[in-house]
Amino acid sequence: MPAKTFDVIVVGTGAGGGTAMKLLCEAGLSVCAINSGPRTDPSKDYKLHRQVYDLKYRGYGNPMRFAGNAHQEPYSVEESEYSEGRDLFEHDVAYSNAAGTDWYWKRCKATGGKANFWGRSSARYGDIDFKAADLDGFGQNWPVDYAEIAPWFSKAERYMGVASTVQNRPSNPDGEYLPPMPWRCIDYIIQKGAEKIGVPYLPDRCAQLTKAHNGHPACHYCGNCSRGCDVGAFFSPTWFTIPDAEATKNLTLLTNALVRSVLVDESGMATGVAYVDRGTKREVQVNAKVVVLAASCVETAHIMLNSKSRHWPTGIANSSGQLGKNLCDHLYGCPGYGYLPQLLGQPATPDNIADSTVAWMPRWQNLKNPKEEKFIRGYSVYMGGGCGEFPGHYSQLEGFGSEFKRNIKRYYPTPVGALIQAPSLPSAENYVDIDPEKKDTFGISQLRFHFQWGQNELLMWEHAKQVMIDLFKAMGAELWGMDDEPNRPGTSLHETGVCRFGSDPKTSVTNKWAQAHDVANLYICDASVFPSPTDKTTTMPIVAFTMRTCDHVLDNFKKGVHKRA
Amino acid sequence: MGGQGIERREILRYIGIASIAGTFPGFNKWAFACSQNHVHEAVLAVAHASAAPYKPLFFTPHQFQMVEHLAEMIIPADDTPGAKEAGVAEFIDFMVANRVPVSARRDVRSTQDAIELGNEAQNRFRSGLDWMNARSKSEFGKEFMECTGEQQKSLLEELAYKAKFKPTTESGRQFFQMMRDYTVVGYYTTRFGLESLGYPGLRVVWPSMPGCPHPNDPEHVHLQAPGATKVAAPSGAA
Repeated sequence: MPAKTFDVIVVGTGAGGGTAMKLLCEAGLSVCAINSGPRTDPSKDYKLHRQVYDLKYRGYGNPMRFAGNAHQEPYSVEESEYSEGRDLFEHDVAYSNAAGTDWYWKRCKATGGKANFWGRSSARYGDIDFKAADLDGFGQNWPVDYAEIAPWFSKAERYMGVASTVQNRPSNPDGEYLPPMPWRCIDYIIQKGAEKIGVPYLPDRCAQLTKAHNGHPACHYCGNCSRGCDVGAFFSPTWFTIPDAEATKNLTLLTNALVRSVLVDESGMATGVAYVDRGTKREVQVNAKVVVLAASCVETAHIMLNSKSRHWPTGIANSSGQLGKNLCDHLYGCPGYGYLPQLLGQPATPDNIADSTVAWMPRWQNLKNPKEEKFIRGYSVYMGGGCGEFPGHYSQLEGFGSEFKRNIKRYYPTPVGALIQAPSLPSAENYVDIDPEKKDTFGISQLRFHFQWGQNELLMWEHAKQVMIDLFKAMGAELWGMDDEPNRPGTSLHETGVCRFGSDPKTSVTNKWAQAHDVANLYICDASVFPSPTDKTTTMPIVAFTMRTCDHVLDNFKKGVHKRA
Repeated sequence: MGGQGIERREILRYIGIASIAGTFPGFNKWAFACSQNHVHEAVLAVAHASAAPYKPLFFTPHQFQMVEHLAEMIIPADDTPGAKEAGVAEFIDFMVANRVPVSARRDVRSTQDAIELGNEAQNRFRSGLDWMNARSKSEFGKEFMECTGEQQKSLLEELAYKAKFKPTTESGRQFFQMMRDYTVVGYYTTRFGLESLGYPGLRVVWPSMPGCPHPNDPEHVHLQAPGATKVAAPSGAA
């Protein structure tokens, strides 16, 4: 590998890393981006515009496909038979769960990462999120407020293209939007029902191009978004940031390079990174003046915890002891599903050709008064339904024969279901550390999860189940059931907190620019800096905060804090 | 993989290409037998090469016949094709032989889980078919396939409808539920099944997303009764 010293190394090429390398390359810096897995090639890796019957195992995939791999559990939704055989997801590196923890760590190792397959919901955070501690007395505020980040949300939205409407809700600040997705029959019915019980149902903020945007084509509604887009009609590093960075000629992109640690000099400052070449299994070092970690939330903490030196005996930049702590996630699960009798027997409608959350119930709890509910803060709910890819509602219908078959068709437009998105609260019991014994195939110590849902998020879960009982009644709908338990932690892919930012170096890993308090030339561009989760998703804010961090990096190059290579 | 792996892969490859080109309106009997009218020439060529009667990978010929018959009872041909025409029995045989967790009772988290659950499904199918025969012998004095259509129907009804459940038939009910799961999955993952629903995703390019056609009736309480008006299919389906 090149013996040259780069201006910047960016570890990871997902939502954060891709954005960082684009902006830093465009500013004229020499950037070495290091990606854990292979390069994503949509024309080969996404089997799009296929039907399920074109797949040998009808979408289930070959059950023996991970025999012999270190991590054999398939990753639901994102990884499917549509991408099988392309080695996009991490199955070589295992992780461990402490006793009582059942964390489901989904990892896409190919360039672009999980942001190739993300859900595209892109709401802004507001002061109700940043200053939550002031409102309810729990935890700490973010070191950034809405006024400071709002221009960066605008930049992120303008770049990515987000479809929505102006809604004037203080808890959900409005942004700069493309035309919204049109509402389906189910959306109108849900909205009327929600209105009756005092719950908002509004267009989601959806990063999907309802018209051509910045040279990217409008969506053609093939419905395959979660398997990756074949034309780049929604924001993904593969179609947006990586081509932008490459166009500058300032980018060196290393693939199949699994970063093991950040290297430091005598004074404890970062000098580069060490990675394992997956092909040769040999360790390689790359040098740079500045290191940006954007390996996905918990992997960034993993690399830092494994970066032990005389200066940093418990991991780089960990004088606060907060590295790996405050692991949070969105509690996911279905608090209610059933069907809308209004639509029985109606002709099929193209409800899911956008494969997206057309509308949602943005947080409505604890708005007037931060303590109006038994829990603090709040959650959101996404609703799905209508004519889908498979008539899973058959399991609710009795019998067999022509009548059964007719009923499957009759109920086809009617099913609706909810997905709760409830933020966990930071807790001393929820963290990641390095497994003292287990090493992966490449000799790297494994990451270990310690995580349980807390009482606050479980109260939200119970609350949502009650709301769904009321909503289904108000819609004139029948409730078929609800999940007994929430999904396993990790399911949402919205982990946050393990390198939280803050003003006080004693209680946080980085400053408000996501620059390590202890190591001035180490920055973090992923959700690991977010100190507490919100009811909203993470990808668009990762892009916005990365844009702001990169501005600070460039400023520091200008001011001479960082020297060019 | 089973003995027909290579042919099947080839056929599927052609089907994949053909359906992308939009020139493949349907196929008959999943990957094994193809109806002449509908099929791309390349598919036909391969299909003819393997046009011999289907040789089950997992079931005995007799078991296979019974699976095919049960599947057709669950999803019969009526105004749209049934399970038999859609190759559901071949699907079940393939999935059971290859231990694909179609109706698994827990998550598959490792290859070992897949093997265990796959073996369990194989055992449940074998013992379930035996149970059906034992039941039909005790009820009607002959094996299931020798029973009349009415007798077969009554044997399934006591497994399918809560009102007809009997305390002694629990293992039969479990088998029926699994058989129904495999049949429904096998049918509604074929073009026949998806077309019978009017699955909108069969068309893969839309100029825009059509919204709700009745926004002036947001609660949808005044929709026309099904069948009252003939609704035109979306035009230009790919």
